[in-house]
Amino acid sequence: MSKLANRPDWADDEDLDDTTNELPPDTQTSNRDGTKTIVSWRFDDNGRKVKTTRRIRFTTHREVVNPRVAERKMWAKFGLSSKDGKGPAADTTSIGENIIFRPSANWRKDAKEEKTDTGNLKEKLKDKQVKCRICNGEHFTARCPYKGTIAPVGEEGSGDVAPGGPADLGEGPGGLSSGKGSYVPPHLRGAQEGSGDRMGGGKYERDDLATLRVTNVSEMAEEQELRDMFERFGRVTRVFLAKDRETGLAKGFAFISFQERTDAARACEKMDGYGFKHLILRVEFAKKAA
Amino acid sequence: MRPILLQGHERALTQIRYNRDGDIIFSTAKDQHICAWFAHNGERLGTYHGHQGALWTVDVDPTSTIIASGAADNTVRLWDIKSGKCLKVWNFDTAVKRVEFNEDGSRLLAVTEKRMGFLGTIVVLAITLDAEAEQSDERVMTISCEESKATVAGWSYMSKYIIAGHEDGSVSQYDAKTGEALDNVQVHELDMLITDLQWSQDRTYFITACKDKTAKLINARNLEVLKTYVADTPLNSASITPKKDFVILGGGQAAMDVTTTAARQGKFEARFYHKIFEEEIGRVRGHFGPLNTVAANPNGKGYASGGEDGYVRVHQFDKAYFDFTYEVERQARQQQQTAI
Repeated sequence: MSKLANRPDWADDEDLDDTTNELPPDTQTSNRDGTKTIVSWRFDDNGRKVKTTRRIRFTTHREVVNPRVAERKMWAKFGLSSKDGKGPAADTTSIGENIIFRPSANWRKDAKEEKTDTGNLKEKLKDKQVKCRICNGEHFTARCPYKGTIAPVGEEGSGDVAPGGPADLGEGPGGLSSGKGSYVPPHLRGAQEGSGDRMGGGKYERDDLATLRVTNVSEMAEEQELRDMFERFGRVTRVFLAKDRETGLAKGFAFISFQERTDAARACEKMDGYGFKHLILRVEFAKKAA
Repeated sequence: MRPILLQGHERALTQIRYNRDGDIIFSTAKDQHICAWFAHNGERLGTYHGHQGALWTVDVDPTSTIIASGAADNTVRLWDIKSGKCLKVWNFDTAVKRVEFNEDGSRLLAVTEKRMGFLGTIVVLAITLDAEAEQSDERVMTISCEESKATVAGWSYMSKYIIAGHEDGSVSQYDAKTGEALDNVQVHELDMLITDLQWSQDRTYFITACKDKTAKLINARNLEVLKTYVADTPLNSASITPKKDFVILGGGQAAMDVTTTAARQGKFEARFYHKIFEEEIGRVRGHFGPLNTVAANPNGKGYASGGEDGYVRVHQFDKAYFDFTYEVERQARQQQQTAI
């Protein structure tokens, strides 16, 4: 078990295989488009080596400040920060997600609209009453006086309902608009927008919408090459090229995530059938993971 | 805008202060150190160690040389900002809930808690604005709050009055030289704790935040309520923004009820109101707990908020913030221009 725990996951960075205990020096390379790629290494809490690759575009922003303020910027750090280097330390300072703040006089009205959207589900369920599936009376099915004597209402009509007996979680006739027999979890039923306020919600869905699956990729392909190829169509947020852990060769498929779905669609159209390293790429939208 | 998250504290924030130039932020929390941060990039300048209890309050002098802090270990301490050294310790009978320098930094007031048979007091200390100088032990003045203890206090313009907010929702005015009680006005609902008191830039008026879900703008000279801002949640802090005529209110459901509510219902947002029209114009989300303190940057370009969740979030306003005006404001400006 401990052996398993120590072994790095195959999905982790491919460079984890080497077992030397020294950190390679940080490297800094300038890219052609004016950005810099900085590769730095550190050990994480479990003693594993972590490679951080940052691609940064530097813009110089000049600001004239009061000499008092300028002098204070030169002060040496002290206390818990005395060991920190120049610039913000990663353990105390981080950048939050972008917040859109537009003051407006009819702020309340805007917010109210938003509120009704989320309150929809609640309102829908508010005047929902208990309904028996056997006799349509206002009691639970299990309490039905006709239980076992007559068949549930509409059972003949809904032939494609998955077999599960009367104890199944069906919603009664017409409860599910999809009409398909497969089970739909309660939180996905009905309107899509009332899916609750999860923290950081929507991240994965958004990701999925603008992700392309590229197959028939050459074994010799590199992530950077793919990124360069697809970046022509728009901002690429993620490139994942499946690689064999032992040999380091590509397995023949990759996922490319775009920031915008429109860019992804354009890339899909243009790159499908593109010849890359003697092979013809096949590009399609990634299917949502089950 | 992308806020900068500062993670220097392990416990709930209690107060945030900008220095006068707006380049350094001081934050205190219920853990036992003060943090100093650069406001422009969130870099931590340092921490000040020495207190033995939860820190309640911090203030920085106008020249950014020293800071004062008050804590639950019954002390007020003076620190050298640059080196982090403790310069002076004053001992009191009870916890210190609020400290504030006056306009020229020659006096410091400290509000002490009412506990263990001791009355709540406002103590004034003389300060020598020099990191090297010897500070005097002597208390220049002590005001006892016999009726209801003071929770917050501050110096008005020209250090003329000391204004205190009380536990029972009233605000009182003391003569800053003699300590004589001049006035006491029940501005908030009875027995609703006043949680914060912050000044306008010229210290002629101030804003109070109260557990009765309102914040009020009050004239320091006659304690007349100028404006009232009504929120839907108990307020912990309120601040007046320079440059734009807004106020920022922070609050949220009481800390002990937090675990039972979703982030949205908890109302953990900074609320912006128009200072003149008393109308809410927007909210900024982000914290996972009630906001314990908000502070507007004196340069008017940003604000910081500290929450029960232990985070400080430093915001720099976008263009939309500076562009926002009411229709009447725009018209008035046009008329002015055409008149010229």
